[in-house]
Amino acid sequence: MADDDFRQQALGHIDALYNLAVYLTRNGSEAEDLVQETYARALRFSHRFEPGTYMRAWMFQILRNTFLTFYRLREREPALSEAGVPDGEAPMFHHAPAEDGESAGAHMDLERALGRIPEEFRTPLLLAEVEGLSLEEVARIMDCPVGTVKSRIFRAKERLRALLKDYGGQDLMT
Amino acid sequence: MTNEIGNEPDDITRLLRERLPRHQAPAGLRGSVVEALDPPKGRRRPSLWIAPALSALATAMVMLLWLAPALPRATPDQMERLSRAVMSEYARGVFAGEVSPETLPAALPRVMRDSGVLLSWVFTGDADIRLVNAQPAYLEGRRGLALTYQDRAGHSVSYIVAHGPNVAIPERERVQIARWRPAVRTEDGVSLIVWKQSGLVCVMVSDLVSADDLGRFKEYFVKVRSATEVSPSY
Repeated sequence: MADDDFRQQALGHIDALYNLAVYLTRNGSEAEDLVQETYARALRFSHRFEPGTYMRAWMFQILRNTFLTFYRLREREPALSEAGVPDGEAPMFHHAPAEDGESAGAHMDLERALGRIPEEFRTPLLLAEVEGLSLEEVARIMDCPVGTVKSRIFRAKERLRALLKDYGGQDLMT
Repeated sequence: MTNEIGNEPDDITRLLRERLPRHQAPAGLRGSVVEALDPPKGRRRPSLWIAPALSALATAMVMLLWLAPALPRATPDQMERLSRAVMSEYARGVFAGEVSPETLPAALPRVMRDSGVLLSWVFTGDADIRLVNAQPAYLEGRRGLALTYQDRAGHSVSYIVAHGPNVAIPERERVQIARWRPAVRTEDGVSLIVWKQSGLVCVMVSDLVSADDLGRFKEYFVKVRSATEVSPSY
């Protein structure tokens, strides 16, 4: 793939990458650093990208690997409890446009609940259900079989549902 | 996608798609990425003239190595330029000395207004280090502010925050300090810790350079970094 095409295509995914980065790091400036590092790496390894394959999934894969390598060890990731749900609350970065109080509260609950799901479950859920990637693509990004991805998404939904009920967000579920 | 798991979008899928805020990449980040993706023209792809050009370059390199001591220094990279600007601000802070504790709280809002940098929270010090001055600062012609601290041994530590310049922090210089990964460099008798926060460039600089002192400097960084919130005020 020509360099210019590669750059153009890569740049087209910046919003999606930043969105995932925010939900991974839960911090705006760290998300920016993560996205910058992702692009630096993508450019460095652009020769490994196979033209004709899905660049978005490739970029997500780089972003997640960079996150796991450099960011996850920063004690930001809460320790897992026996139930596989992190103990304690993790602060979320909230930068959504202005909205009414009720809607903002619902967003906060949803983000807060999402922040309490371990990364291994949160990432496939976001990639599949928010970014619309196929299970095969998610499996490639997560470096695990498709069956594992399915099971993680299922469990992530179960946990999210339970957490939202804990927050009194039954109305969100209707 | 949902169809691969269930037959139709379930409650959680609908919730995520309809209610989960979508974060758009800030313009500053977009600019940085575009800059990083766009190397200097002429180096993009090899052309027919690449072989003779390389040959000429090799000859020039040999000559350059031979004549290097007599030549002026090469143009510094972004981090070097930033380091020099920071050192000059650091020296200014050291010479400015200490402001009386009564004047300092009143000076901070003015400094923030003049610099265009808003500090929602300011680390004013503890038993080890205390804030002694706050001044407007300029990094490569861009407005910012400098907070000067002094530790118990009398070492000055400046914390400088400025709009841009759009510096890419090199990965090879990054060091894990607590939960952050700023760049750490030591040059010309001072240590610098550089990071980016809310689209602003933040630098801490001090004359703490020995291995022990650097450990202390990193502790000061953690105190300042965790207790200070910055944002551009416009």
